[in-house]
Parts: sequence; C-alpha cells; structure tokens
Amino acid sequence: MVDRMEKRRVTIVATLRNSIGAVVIVGIALAALVVLSLLLSATPLKTLRYFFLGPLQNTYYFGNMLNMAIPLIFGGLGVSLAMRSGSFNLGGEGQLYSGAFVATISALALARWGSAGVVVALFLGACTGGLLAGLSGVLRMKWNTSELITSFLVSNAVVLVVSYLIAGPFMDPATNLIATRMIPESFRFTRILEPSNLSSALFAAVIAVLVVHLYLYKTKSGYELRLFGLNPRFAAYGGIRTKWYQVWPMFLSGAFYGLAGGMAIFGTYYACMKEFSTGMGWNGLAVALIARHRPAAVIPAALFFAYIESGARNAMLHSDVTFEIASIVQSVVFFLVTSAVLQKIGSVQRRSI
Amino acid sequence: MNPVAIPVLHSAVAIMTPLLLASMGGLFTELSGMLNIALEGLMLMGAFASIVFTHFTGNMVVGIALGVLASMLLAAILGTVTLHLKSNVFITALAANLFASGLTVVLSFKLFGNKGVVVFNDIGRLPRLDIPALAKIPVFGDIFIGHNIFVYLSWVLLALCAWVLYRTPFGFRLRATGIHEQAMVSLGMRPSRYRFIAFLVSGFTCALGGAMLTLNLGAFVPNITSGKGWIALVVIFLGQKKPIGLLFAALVFGFADAFSNYAQGAWNVPADFILAIPYVFTLVAMVLFSIYTSRKNRVE
Repeated sequence: MVDRMEKRRVTIVATLRNSIGAVVIVGIALAALVVLSLLLSATPLKTLRYFFLGPLQNTYYFGNMLNMAIPLIFGGLGVSLAMRSGSFNLGGEGQLYSGAFVATISALALARWGSAGVVVALFLGACTGGLLAGLSGVLRMKWNTSELITSFLVSNAVVLVVSYLIAGPFMDPATNLIATRMIPESFRFTRILEPSNLSSALFAAVIAVLVVHLYLYKTKSGYELRLFGLNPRFAAYGGIRTKWYQVWPMFLSGAFYGLAGGMAIFGTYYACMKEFSTGMGWNGLAVALIARHRPAAVIPAALFFAYIESGARNAMLHSDVTFEIASIVQSVVFFLVTSAVLQKIGSVQRRSI
Repeated sequence: MNPVAIPVLHSAVAIMTPLLLASMGGLFTELSGMLNIALEGLMLMGAFASIVFTHFTGNMVVGIALGVLASMLLAAILGTVTLHLKSNVFITALAANLFASGLTVVLSFKLFGNKGVVVFNDIGRLPRLDIPALAKIPVFGDIFIGHNIFVYLSWVLLALCAWVLYRTPFGFRLRATGIHEQAMVSLGMRPSRYRFIAFLVSGFTCALGGAMLTLNLGAFVPNITSGKGWIALVVIFLGQKKPIGLLFAALVFGFADAFSNYAQGAWNVPADFILAIPYVFTLVAMVLFSIYTSRKNRVE
C-alpha cells in the first residue's frame, strides 16, 4: 500500500517535471507576443492587456473562447488518431469544410426529422470527411502514395469545390451573405452560457475525448493501431492487419474533422458560410501536436489555442494590431513544440532497474 | 501547330519557372534527407520581401537581393531550430509556412495599412529577353523567347545545381548525408552542416521563385504563392529527384496551369473549378507515379 502511494507520488513528480518543457515553450511563445506588440503596436500595453485579459473579461468572451475550442478538440482528436497509427492527415481544412457543408444540406433536407435528423446529418458530415481522408489511406495502402501529400491536395481541391457549391447551387438568395440557407431551429444546439455562443456541443467534445481515450488504450483495435504506428514491421509479424491500419485511422481522422465541421454549424453558425472554417483544420493539427497525440491532453492544448485566437481577436477589436498576429505566435509554438532539446529540460531520466 | 497551343505553351514556360526555382532548392533539402514542406513559406517570404524592398529602395536588383536574404533568414531559423534544437522537420517547416503567412499580412497592414492586395505602381516591369534572331524561329521562338529574366535565370541555376550536386565534393557529401547519415558521421563529417546549407539553398531559390510572382504582377496578394510551394514538392518527387527530371515535371504542371487559365477564358467553367485543376492534376500525377514505381519495384 505504502509502496503504491510512493510510486504514485513519483509519477506525479515525473509528470510535473516532464511538463516543464511545455511551460518553457508556451513561455517563449508568449514572450514573442510581447515583443511583437512592442514592435507593431503604438499602444503596446493596451494591446497586451486586451490580448491576455480580453478572453477572460466577461461571460461573453469567455464563452466564445470555450466555443472556439470545440472544433479544435474534435480536429485534434482526429489528427491524434492518424498520428498514432503513423499516418499524416494534412487535409483537415477540406475535411472539416466539406463535413460542415454536407451536415448543413442534410439538415436542410431532413428538416422534418427533428433530433433523429441531427444525428443522421452529423453522421453524414462525418462520413464525408472520413471518406476524403480514407481515400488517401487507400492510395497509401495500394501504391504507397504519400498520404501526407495526397490528403493535402484532395483537401485543397475540395475546399474550392465546396466554395463553389455554397456560392452557386446551394446559396440562400434571401441574404447578402455567401451562405447556404439556415438550418431549422430544431437542429440547433442549446446555448449554455448566454450571451456567448457556447453551445451544448461542448459536452459532445468532452465525451468524444473520453471515447477516443478508451478506444486507444482499452480496446484491441486501439492497441493494434498504436502498435502499428510504433513499428509497422513488428505489427505485421504479430499478425496485425497492416493494410486495415493504413486506411481505418485515416478514415477516423477525417470523420472527426467532418464532425468538427458539423458541430460548428449546429452549435454556432447555423448556416454554412463560404470559407467559414479557414484555419480550423490547421489549428486542429497544431492542437494534436502540442498534445503529443494524447487524447486527454487535447483539451488543454485546444484551450490554449482558443485563448491565443480569441486574445488576438480581442486585441484586434480594441487596439491597432491585426488578427494574423495569432498565427505568428502559433508558429513559434510549432517551431519549438517537437524540440527534443527543450523537452528534456527538467525531465527525469529513466533509470534502468 | 494549332494556333491555341503556342500561347498556352508560351505561358506554360513562364508559369513553370517559380515551380522550377522552388523545386531546385527543395531538391537540396530532399537529397540531404529531409522532407522540406517549408518551400511554400520561403517562397511567400521572398515574394513579399522582394517587392517591398524594391518599393523602398527603388531598385529592383537590391530589392530582390534583400528579399532573398529575408527568405534565407527564415530558412536559417528553420535550420537552426530543426537541427540544433532537434525538432521534427515536418512540424518546424509547417511553422515556417504559418510564420510567413502571418508575418506578411501583419507587416503589410503595418506598412501599408492594408491586409488585402497591395499594388505598387512605382515598380517597373521585369526586364524581358528579346532576341529577334531567335524569335523568328517558328515554334521554338514563339515558345521560348520573350520571357522575363527569371525564366532564363532558372535554367542557368538548374545547370548550376546539377553541377554542384553531381560534380563537386560538396554535392557528393550532401547526397551521402541523405543516403547514409551514420556513414557521414563515421567519416568525421557533420550531417547537420550539410543540411543547414541545404536549407539556405532552398531559401535562396524559393525567394527567387516568389520574387518572380510579385514583381511580375507589380502587387502583393496575401498568400500569393497559393500552394505553389507544395506543388514544387510534388515536382521533386515526379522529377525522380534529378535536376533534369525537375525541368520536365515543372513543365507538366506549368502546362496544366496554363491550360486551366485558357479553359477559364474559352469555356464557361466556374472559377473555383479552374483553381482546383492544378491540385487535381497534381494528385493524379502523384498517384500514377506511385503506381508506376510500385510496379517497377515489384518487377525488381
């Protein structure tokens, strides 16, 4: 008993010390932000105040920040699944956008189905994203085509096609926006933190994290997926269906992106606007990388990203900097997040017994 | 020859040039054993910095030189973080892309108060090479003469690349780094040094490719590179990682692009579909190429 407690104490200390590297990286990114504000803003202190405190100043901004994290959580989970199996999914942008589009038009078509329609529409949206990503998986399995490049290319083409469909055949003539018609009231998720946009999709996101965690660590298929990702050859000798694990994780990954799109529509936007999701796919990828492909860590990583985004949005509204300052801060995180040197800071060396 | 084909081929030669330049630099990083997806960001950095410096210095050559420096600086950061902080090159290169697309917009807003298209009226046209004697040769003259200097510069650089990679000790060592890193270490050489130089080379050529885009247009458009860096990456694979292969692969894409521009004018196709053609075309080329190599490997 004492032994077990001692062991637990040691793991907690080790986890804390291992996360020093992450703290250093976040610290450098925030320092970069301070430097940027000093260089670019005429009123750097005001800019920084809105950037750091803006997202927390009232329920409206705070709720919107949490809401912003929802598609990032879904996207981050999707990327984590693919990464764990050794696949790269760079097509998040197209998978998310097309998933949102298909979910929207399904909702419009199934208007009379009510809550059953919500499930079906989200499912169809998820399948769309899944099939797009799955295609890259199939190409890799059959001819060893790099899924990293094909998923990116497919996504770029799909974004343009979806934009065409929104601006053309599916455009709502009643508004000035380039958008589809609004989905029926019965399809919209309830707002849970008025007056912000935060919707009950948040619960779905948390459940999704749990489901992916259980899948990866507590099921046979999840174990095989991770094993294949760690060492494909070993997995093959162990009798694991290696072909399946080149396609299935890609499909799942795209499906989560598609779901992210559907959730964004049903929870926040209510209509699929042209290019509404630009950047969400890449941010989902960033979230997965910061979380180092661990589902549980996707939540704090998504919150961090949403914080930076909404901070930048706040600073843009109330000060003299542009929103793109966020992508510079994000890029600093990207530069450093996989650094083996930084990760080693403070980490406990594993001693062999 | 068909009267439509000649203008299409002529513009294909111009369109392929930024791809060819970027893929040349990418070839160095690729042969040194790294997948460099930052070509896009390096091009964008060069594109923005070249036209902005040309605007402020009033001299195109100085502007391009400073643009090249800016891009090489980003490449140096990328190289340092990747090689010395031991990061995943894929992620750091993604960071370089994100950094370039963010920084160019932020700076454009700071300098010109505009996040959209910035038109520079004070910038002259790119010098063109017109050799009347050669231009008279039918077909050849119509297709290859009368382009801007970047087009011809890219051919000279391609020959230079081939020479450096296959005829100099540096080239041998660079390629050896990609083939067998440990062998290089055991010979007392530092792979990271060759890789760092490869990054700098890709910064150099990508900047030239980007500079051609903005200077030719006389304007900066946000994300003007629009996927060209990625297509350059595919050019490297399709060109079988050989300098001469790059030329043919780039021409294929230049042709696809030129054809889609032509199609937009000739048929009534929605603009979004036209913009999608290069990606679809690249995808099909990638798949066909991988089918070909997997067949070949099976036979061997």
